Amino acid sequence: MTAPFLQIRGIRKDYGKVTAVQDVSLEIRRGEFLTFLGPSGSGKSTTLYILAGFQDPTAGDILLEGRSLLSTPSHLRQIGMVFQRYTLFPHLTVAENIGFPLKVRRKSRAEIDAKVKQMLELVRLEGFEDRRPSEMSGGQQQRVALARALSYDPPVLLMDEPLSALDKKLREEIQHEIRRIHQETEVTILYVTHDQEEALRMSDRIAVFSKGVIDQVGTGSELYAEPATRFVAEFIGDSDFLSCAVVASNGQSADIRLGDDWLVEGVPLHARGGGRNEGALLLRPERVQLHRNQPAATGALPVRVDDLTFLGSNVHVATTTGWGEPVAIRLPFGHDAIDGLSRGDTVWLGFDPRTAHVFC
Amino acid sequence: MSNASSTSALVVRAPRRNLLPKTLGPAMPALILLFLFFVLPVVSLLLRSVLEPEPGLSNYATLLGSETYLRIFLNTFLVSALVTVLSLLIGFPVAWTLAIMPAHWSRIVFAILLLSMWTNLLARTYAWMVLLQRTGIVNKTLMNLGLIDQPLTLVNNLVGVTIGMVYIMLPFIILPLYGVIRRIDPAILQAASLCGATRWQSLWRVLVPLAAPGMAAGALMVFVMSLGYFVTPALLGGTSNMMLAELIAQFVQSLVNWGMGSAAAFVLLVVTLALYALQLKLFGTSQMGGR
Repeated sequence: MTAPFLQIRGIRKDYGKVTAVQDVSLEIRRGEFLTFLGPSGSGKSTTLYILAGFQDPTAGDILLEGRSLLSTPSHLRQIGMVFQRYTLFPHLTVAENIGFPLKVRRKSRAEIDAKVKQMLELVRLEGFEDRRPSEMSGGQQQRVALARALSYDPPVLLMDEPLSALDKKLREEIQHEIRRIHQETEVTILYVTHDQEEALRMSDRIAVFSKGVIDQVGTGSELYAEPATRFVAEFIGDSDFLSCAVVASNGQSADIRLGDDWLVEGVPLHARGGGRNEGALLLRPERVQLHRNQPAATGALPVRVDDLTFLGSNVHVATTTGWGEPVAIRLPFGHDAIDGLSRGDTVWLGFDPRTAHVFC
Repeated sequence: MSNASSTSALVVRAPRRNLLPKTLGPAMPALILLFLFFVLPVVSLLLRSVLEPEPGLSNYATLLGSETYLRIFLNTFLVSALVTVLSLLIGFPVAWTLAIMPAHWSRIVFAILLLSMWTNLLARTYAWMVLLQRTGIVNKTLMNLGLIDQPLTLVNNLVGVTIGMVYIMLPFIILPLYGVIRRIDPAILQAASLCGATRWQSLWRVLVPLAAPGMAAGALMVFVMSLGYFVTPALLGGTSNMMLAELIAQFVQSLVNWGMGSAAAFVLLVVTLALYALQLKLFGTSQMGGR
């Protein structure tokens, strides 16, 4: 295979003076589950709609197996899509909805019936053939929509926040269903969501959208462990940011000063141009160590304990630095360091510089 | 299906019943008015049709037995059907366009539609007479374009009546249709398109079925209004294609035959009610009158 399965090349979309998508390029492997993650207005849905053919990009191209899709109208693109809103045809039964794509392709009655049956099994809705969409719950409707979108074996399935109208429990249930269906059908899925948990739970890779560009593409753990930008760090997982001064840097890592006198050497650096020496240190709450007494050997930052919250397997410790920045720490329940800890105590924070990041 | 829809109708209606006033008190003025000026006249009409000139069904026998009168009935239905179908064919694209148009444009089109509705009916009908006559602007334009050699006869015949009535009826089809099409989620049509449906297939398999209740409501209104229409057929139609309302007017005004006039009016009423019942049966109560 020379060309990647699906290629998005330098897509840009302007609405008058507003730029919805600035410059998006991405390569998607066959059978991959890739999620567009980002806040609303970050351009993720617009990119998806361009893929579907509902909108034309101002610039750029989309290639499926090396061939441009842009001149193909959406009804000939052979792409499946599940929408955010319920889009089943209300005047048709479940079976007729699932069979609709085959019917407009003039397939035989027998072929349609067989496929509808297979699809209903896939989404586990056997026996619902003759129901109308109005007689089904939101979750069931979205499963039928999924069956309809897969009934013509599209090479690519687009999903635009299909679960956002459902409650949390149902959402998790259908997330598992979608995951299972992805594994069973091996269809390539492009999934849009603003819910990081959903993205982490389902995707092979995640593309983080921010202000019309992709900040970073990677697996969930890559994005969490090695965020390329402060935005990605903030968006994926919990994070603490401490302002710090960059004392020295070699482009890859930096020596920073926290507070008045604590020097930390060799923190991975993500510089976005400019030789500013003010930065933000990213700490993950579960990576921060908490010392009851000032450690002698390594440096540590004194903080005041503001609050302790017991959350089952975890305990959250909210602290404040001497200059007033909050730092949240997460420790496993029963950890020595929290035994007898109370509000107003002073503790010392430590961390491994290699697991932290500086953004400036 | 009928089973399911009746249960769901029950579910929907149950809470609404509590909102109904406990007595008919508040509705009494309207009910009295309706009784005095609608129920009583209709009953007296019915009575006159069977009592004048002598008791019996002779008026109906004459009306339904004569070829002349039957032709008028037939012509009434033909014109009404023609007007309904043409109004639907012209009105559907207009309603659709209005529904997907940017709001500031649709407001202008609506203003034009409503203005034409609010303009005096006689004025509009006379305007059509002027436009459609032998030396009218329509014939002149067609002749100047070289499309015809002789002026077409566009008034005092079926063509004139149809043109004039379609024009008058259009808003009554466009407004309910617009309401129905507006409520269709555009994402449903996008979904149809991605499912592989061409524009034509999306139109016939999705949009038209979803708009059917609006089309039925509008069509029924236009058909029923056309059945009893008087002014336009009287002015733009010819003697050879008289409509029922003209016949009634003739019975009452020229022949002073109240018995025959009442019988004809009553036949019209029965046909109208039958059509309404048919529509209720086909499309249920939810789409009717409620909006």
